[in-house]
Formats: sequence, C-alpha cells, structure tokens
Amino acid sequence: MPHVLVIEDDEVTAREIALELAAHGISADRVHNGDEGLRAAHAPHYDAITLDLMLPGMDGLSLVKQLRERGITTPVLMISALGDVDERVRGLRAGGDDYLTKPFAPDEMAARIEVLLRRQQPAQTRLRVGDLELDLITHVARRGGRELSLLPTEYRLLEFLMRYPGQVLTRAMIFESVWGLRFDPGTNLIDVHIARLRRKVDTEAEPSLIRTVRGSGYRLG
Amino acid sequence: MDSAPPRREPSPHWRATTSRLLLGYGVFFVIWGTLLLGSIYWETTRYLAEHTDRDLTHQIDHLRHVDRAHLAAMLDDYIALEDTSYNAWGLFDAQGRWINGDIVRLPPALKIDGGPIRTEARDIIRQQALPNVEQLHLIAAHLDDGNVLALAHTTGVTAHVGSIIKHALWWGLSFTLVPGLIGGLILNVGPRRRIRQIKLATQAIMHGDLHKRLPISKRDDEVDRLATIVNDMLDQIERLMGEVKGVCDNIAHDLRTPLTRLRSQLYRVQQQMGEDDPQQALVERCVEDIDDVLGRFRALLRISELEDRRRREGFVDVDLGETLQHVHELYAPLAEDRRQLLELRAEPGLIVQADPDLLFEAIGNLVANAIKFTPDGGTVTMSATRLAPERARIEVADSGPGIPVEERHAIWQRFYRGEGSRETTGHGLGLSIVAAIAKLHDFELSIDGGEDGTRIGMACAVNPP
Repeated sequence: MPHVLVIEDDEVTAREIALELAAHGISADRVHNGDEGLRAAHAPHYDAITLDLMLPGMDGLSLVKQLRERGITTPVLMISALGDVDERVRGLRAGGDDYLTKPFAPDEMAARIEVLLRRQQPAQTRLRVGDLELDLITHVARRGGRELSLLPTEYRLLEFLMRYPGQVLTRAMIFESVWGLRFDPGTNLIDVHIARLRRKVDTEAEPSLIRTVRGSGYRLG
Repeated sequence: MDSAPPRREPSPHWRATTSRLLLGYGVFFVIWGTLLLGSIYWETTRYLAEHTDRDLTHQIDHLRHVDRAHLAAMLDDYIALEDTSYNAWGLFDAQGRWINGDIVRLPPALKIDGGPIRTEARDIIRQQALPNVEQLHLIAAHLDDGNVLALAHTTGVTAHVGSIIKHALWWGLSFTLVPGLIGGLILNVGPRRRIRQIKLATQAIMHGDLHKRLPISKRDDEVDRLATIVNDMLDQIERLMGEVKGVCDNIAHDLRTPLTRLRSQLYRVQQQMGEDDPQQALVERCVEDIDDVLGRFRALLRISELEDRRRREGFVDVDLGETLQHVHELYAPLAEDRRQLLELRAEPGLIVQADPDLLFEAIGNLVANAIKFTPDGGTVTMSATRLAPERARIEVADSGPGIPVEERHAIWQRFYRGEGSRETTGHGLGLSIVAAIAKLHDFELSIDGGEDGTRIGMACAVNPP
C-alpha cells in the first residue's frame, strides 16, 4: 500500500485529502506545518507528498527546495490557493512535480497522486496494455497484430494513456501532459481527440480499451 | 473595428473660446472706432463749413462797399490771404454776364445778396485757377454800381481733414487689429495643443486604460482646474470600478470552495451508485452543471489575473507560424467533427515577442469560437501575414453568420453573448480572455466581415525580416 505524506495546515482540507486517498487505496500521514513536514519527509517510506505552499513556519517553496538539495526525490504535488501562472512556474522550478490550485476536486488530486506514484517506474522501451502495444523507439503502435496509423498528436495521447493503465486521467491532466497547456479548452475538445483515437484503436470486434469515467475523465484498460 | 455611433465632430475653426472672444471684441472695436472717428469727422466738417460761410459773408459785406478803384487790389489781397488754391472771385454785370475774375458763371441756385451755398466747382470757375477742386462755397452780392461780386472758397480744408481722419482710422485699426489677431492666434496654439493632449488622454481612458489621467500644466489656469476636477472624478470611477471588480472576483473566489465541495460530494454519490441506477443520469447532469459554473469562475478569475499582470518578463521570441500550426493540430479534430474545413495560412519567419502559452490560448480561443459559430460544413481560416516590416496580423476568419456591426464592440465584454448565440453552449468569456491577453501584449484587436462571415484580427509587432 503506497504511503503519502500530507503537509497541509488546514485541518478540513487535510482530512479531505486523506479520505480521498484512502478511497483510492493509499494511506496518508498528516502534518500541519512546514518544519514538521520537512522532518517527516526525510522518512524513507513515503512514496509521494502533497504540499500546501502557504504554511506556518517554513513555506512550501523553501521546503521543496531543501528536500531536493538534500537529495530526497520523493515526488511532490504542490497545492496552492494562488492560481497565478508564475506561481506555478516557480513551484515547479523549485522542484515540485505537479501543481494543483485550490479549491480542487478530490478525485483530480487523487488522480494526480496516482500518476506521481507510477512515475518512478524504470525506463521502458515498450508499453503494453492488453493486446495494445506501443514501441517507444520506433513509434509504432499495434493492437493484436494490426498496426495503427497514428498522427503525432494521437501517438502522444496514446503514449500518455498507456503509461498509466487502469488509472483515471482527468481532461486537465491529459491537456497538460500531452499538449503542455494549462488553460481551459472546454471539455469537448479533449473528448473529440479521445474519440478520434478510439476510432483507430478499437474495432467493432474488440472490446473498447479507452473507457470514459463519468464526471472525471478517461481510463485505459 | 469598434463601431461606436458616429459623433458630430466640432468644426475645426473657431473652436477655442479665445478665438470667439477675440473676434467679437475685434468687431466691436472696429464699429466703436468708426463711430468715434466718424462723429469727430462730422463735427469738424460742420464746424469748418460754418466757419467758411461766416468768413465769406463777412468778406463780401466788406468788399461790396469798397471803392471800385481799390476793388481789384483788395480782391488780390483777398486771394493772397490764403493759399491761392483755396480762394477765387468773379465780377459780373447786372445781367449776370462775366466781366472779370476766375469765377466764370453764377449757378442759378445762387441768390444774389443771399447766403453762401455749397456747389460743384465744375463750369463755375476756370479749371486753371483752382485745379483739382470739386466743391466750393459760393456767395454773391450787388456792388454799389449794380454789378455783382462773387467770392468762392473751396472745401479743400474740409476734405483734407476728412482724409486725415480716415487715415487715422485706417492706421489705428490696422495697428490694433493685426497684432491683436496674430496675438490671438498665437495664444490659441497653447490651449489647442492642450485640448489635443486631453483628447488623447480621454481616448486612452475610453479604450480601457483607467489608470491614465488628463495632463495638468504648472499654470493652474481654467483648463487645469477643469482637468483636475475630471481627474478627481476619474480617481473615483477607477476606485469604484476596482471595487465592483473586486466584489465580482471575491464572489467567484469564495463560491469556488463550497461549489467544489458540493461537486466532490455529488461525485462520491455518483461513484457509489450502480452504473444502471436510474438516478445516475440526473447526478451526472448536476456534476456537469457545477463544472460549468466552476469553469466560469475560473475564467473570470483568469481574466482578472491577466488584467492585473503588468509585467512582460515572461515574453520570449515566438514563431507565429509554429504556434498557428500547433493550434491547428489541437483544433482540427473539432472542426472535422463538424465537417468544417480548418485552413492554415501562415507566412514563415514571423517572430513576435509574447508569452507562448498565452498567445496559444488567445488564438485557440478565437479558433474555438469560430468553429462554434460556423455552421456544419463551413470554413475557418487561420492566417498570419506580414503587414509591414515590423507589423503582422494574425487572423481567424469564419464562414459563419457574421456579427452585426452594432454588436461588435460588445463582444469583448465579459459574459457577452450575441443575439443569435443563445442556443450554443459556452460562458461568453472566451473572447474576454482573448481581449485581456491581447491587451497584455499590446496587440490590436479588430473585427470585420459581413454576412458571409467574421474576421477577427490581432495586429502585433514582429521582428523585422
């Protein structure tokens, strides 16, 4: 069972995060200020950290900087009330791995944590989900024996989905990871791209691999 | 682009109050000067004429009783009394026939032994005797021997006085009016320049730069007082606008937390329901509605965030062609779904100073908007063209129904949705975000086109080729 450290001074938010993570089969420990957080983060058994940027004591940015300076590479999801683009850039530069703006949907938070937990997999040259296969070197995708002809965007989208099989990926996460953009493109846009990919990946004879998760996003496999 | 109703421009002449005042004063001065000098002229000539007549009466009374032997000498003396060009005499017999002298004829209007008359000089005196004389005063009386003596005095002095006064009037007015008018024009240049500055400042304010104020000089004159009053008013307006915006932002900000909680609770309910629960669809619609509201709040706060950003540190060289290419890749499937043609025409080598993500977002919003309002099977064209060595235009054109001219200026406003777009989805904030991004980058937005579609353009500075 993965362990997550929740560094959050607001009791309600902290409980909400822990509850949501528990629902996803992740256990969470809570600390309420920066100094405690820094101490706790040294423990080797944490797989990920959620970090509020505005904390009593040491602030979140300094905390993550110190962690990285001390060689601790535990993935960090930064959570901030500031939606400012620059704030996010600063956070990621300081060593954070992902950034979420308050107020957030708990399932979105959990989905991001799950992605962070999976990120530490060893480098692969080939991804496989069911009978779907993606060669990361030759950029060739196959389902069964059939080769799929994908446009560059479709390839990147499929690669992202295949890196996190069985995991809910929200539209915002897809938009950020595949296109590197963070504005609100409207739900429709991502759906259209997924629909196109689906038409290429699925045929009538095979079960659909890309599933829609109601109210959230998509899941492969 | 902007289509405010046409306003009546004031005529370029006589705009300034000083001009009008000066003109009025000039007219008054001319009339007054003319009246003054006219009355002096009139009084003087009247006095001179009376004086001449009295002299003539006097002289003829004296001369008629003089001994005939001395008369000729006396008459010569009379002529010599003044300049010869002023006086003349003539001697006639009882029947009025000429005997001697420069006066050669007696006009019928002249009564012998009566008072002096004023008459035309022509035919009455010899031209050689008094050249250039037009009018004269004439008197005649019987001498003791029955002959008639006539004496004439020209009006030359009166005419001279008149011309002196006319000259005085002419020079006086010239010396007063010409420098006055020139001075007035010079005085006008200052106020006109300031009015122009004020006009520029107000235009900037009307275009949304609420931080701008009217210029105030050190003179502290009436224009400055007025400008100060207007500036105070602008301070107040800016403060109020800030408050309104602050209230809106606070509402959006504060409502997000409870709405997010509501959403997550609904989401949890949805997860716990079976896939085939009859309530599933209802809950899903609720979640979608909350997402829609949250999307609006996010967009509102995003606009505020963009409007508050004054810095341009994040700006880097961005290739417009590449950006358009990426936008095209992102939106092409959306257009394809509507069987629309999404065309891309970008000149190579257009480099603009911009925040790449924001530029992408702005163009993306324009394209999304164009796709939304273009009917199935239509065409959306995105293009980037160099207009001048250092200026380019990004354009998104569609074959949709077009935006009525009177609505064009309003589409950049928050929550604005056109008459014809009520049935389409969206929160009406996309173009406001575009406007905020364009403003941050100093891009100039324009809308044109007709019933065959809309063209939205962003003119921007680019690096020279």
